[in-house]
Amino acid sequence: MSAAGSNILEVRNLETQFNTLDGVVRAVDGVSFDLARGETLGIVGESGCGKSVTALSILRLIPPETGRIAAGSIKFEGEELTSLGEAAMKRLRGHRISMIFQEPMTSLNPVLTVGTQIAENVVRHMGVPWRAARERACEMLDLVRIADARRRLDEYPHQLSGGMRQRVMIAMALSCDPQVLIADEPTTALDVTIQAQILQLMLELKEKTGTAIVLITHDLGVVAETTERVVVMYAGRKVEEAPVEALFAEPLHPYTRGLMRAIPRLDVEADAAGTRPRLQEIPGLVPRLTQPIPGCAFAPRCGFATERCRVEPPPLVDVGAGHTVACWEVDRVRASAL
Amino acid sequence: MTAYIVRRLFATLPVMAVVALFVFFLLRFAPGDPAAIIAGDDATAESIAAVRAKLGLDRPMVEQFFVWVWSLMQGDLGVSIFSNLAVTRLISQRLEPTVALTLSTLFVAVALAVPIGVVAAWKARKLVDRLVMGFAVLGFAMPGFVLAYILIYFFAVQWQLLPVQGYKPIAEGFLPFAESLILPSVALGVTYMALIARITRASMLEVLAQDYIRTANAKGLATDRVLLLHALKNAAVPIVTVIGIGIALLISGVVIAETVFNIPGLGRLTVDAVLKRDYPVVQGLILVFAGAKVLVNLIIDISYAFLDPRIRY
Repeated sequence: MSAAGSNILEVRNLETQFNTLDGVVRAVDGVSFDLARGETLGIVGESGCGKSVTALSILRLIPPETGRIAAGSIKFEGEELTSLGEAAMKRLRGHRISMIFQEPMTSLNPVLTVGTQIAENVVRHMGVPWRAARERACEMLDLVRIADARRRLDEYPHQLSGGMRQRVMIAMALSCDPQVLIADEPTTALDVTIQAQILQLMLELKEKTGTAIVLITHDLGVVAETTERVVVMYAGRKVEEAPVEALFAEPLHPYTRGLMRAIPRLDVEADAAGTRPRLQEIPGLVPRLTQPIPGCAFAPRCGFATERCRVEPPPLVDVGAGHTVACWEVDRVRASAL
Repeated sequence: MTAYIVRRLFATLPVMAVVALFVFFLLRFAPGDPAAIIAGDDATAESIAAVRAKLGLDRPMVEQFFVWVWSLMQGDLGVSIFSNLAVTRLISQRLEPTVALTLSTLFVAVALAVPIGVVAAWKARKLVDRLVMGFAVLGFAMPGFVLAYILIYFFAVQWQLLPVQGYKPIAEGFLPFAESLILPSVALGVTYMALIARITRASMLEVLAQDYIRTANAKGLATDRVLLLHALKNAAVPIVTVIGIGIALLISGVVIAETVFNIPGLGRLTVDAVLKRDYPVVQGLILVFAGAKVLVNLIIDISYAFLDPRIRY
């Protein structure tokens, strides 16, 4: 873990809530994490665990009609974002903190050219004329390895493939040299072969630019390949955090273990012998977030759960080497086979 | 694109032919006889028959139709039964007021409705939105002629800011021309304004929920750029469609405004010609109205390609 002070982003006890017809949904319920300069942090969890909402909260893009940041603090370079004025926030977005989204097919404006969509970001934040911004856009398309960049500037998103569009999104997000790039499921909507290319590209660009990345995904394989540290979220809470090697070597939260058992593996020998183990799912369903959850949110689905787990929320405990976990039964979990 | 436009222009010919056919026979089958009107109230059957023969109305209907169509193809709309003036001349004399009124009404409606709709969508479900949409319902419900008299009463009679009635051709100076158009344009335009504002709001609301608007906001773009470029350009196709329908409705909708404000336009000419059963004039007018609508439709269709690059012809 990085020493204090070198963190570019510090999230503390973030609570983001939405008003729905069923009541208040606690989409993010007290999440804390740090992001060091130039680091790649993974945030993992199932759909609806609050990963995307965490990302949108950092950029303060939660739609104000329905949701709000109810509590907590988000510090970017020591500056508190939760209370920052909207004008200052607008100067930050796309400039110092950028975001790319899951759906490259719908995240680009269909009626504006690719060049305009990249260049407008540059004009807005760098204060350069359009001509220079277009040059920058062309450079960026080169950088994300789109062939024939100059011609592509005048094309519309529907003329590009999904992978190309995601490259355009990356070019757009990196066009103003942000310190932090938040990538929300950037490869989920893409073909597997394209996924690998896009991830590789993001990592390479990170090396070049020193941008810190928050990679949000439900895919542990992506996490293993690309991140340095991982935060595991469940039902709006952080349940485990560890350097990526430590997490895969010894996952300590029963939920993290469940996720890992649910990864399909190729095992040719076991297949041949007919002894390939059945893929294990995590029993039960994600809890409804409209009711306050008194104990551990995972307790109803957990094989290790005791009475205490259901009534008292487990604190995050440091088990050494930057590995923290929120589980009352961590010793029993550790002792059991994965 | 050029090929498409040429193709579309040719496609208007059958439409116009059907319009010509309908208009001709509909008028002949409608009750009323221009010969009887010309001959006067106490005319004998013989004198009516004489007038009818003179006008060629005693010939078989099919023959009359082909005579009319033949001259039509030579650009001749015929001669008014009553004034003996060429229909083309009658129409061109009355064209300017109607075109001016249509365009100014459209301008008033669009220039106010689109910004109103955008703001309402932006501030959806807030006070501004509710006020604007309440006003839109009111504007839509209020008949144009009622509003016309209210406007005349205050702006012309009470405060004497604008002329009560009448029309000044643009040749007599722009200011009097514009002054004579303000009240009729507002009276006529409020309905269209309400309609266009509602469509703009609905279309914008749908677009504002799209992923690419979130992307635009994540880039920290200024609110006006997000609303007016990123959102409005995407919302434009339905808005332009409604504006097109508005123009089509306006072309025929000017009749009431022309009557209330005593403007010598095509609407008034139509009413007079219909009441007198002046067949050639009515036929010519309806052809002109139909042609204008077909043309507006074509322009709207072509504009889609400029608004949305995914549309190709």
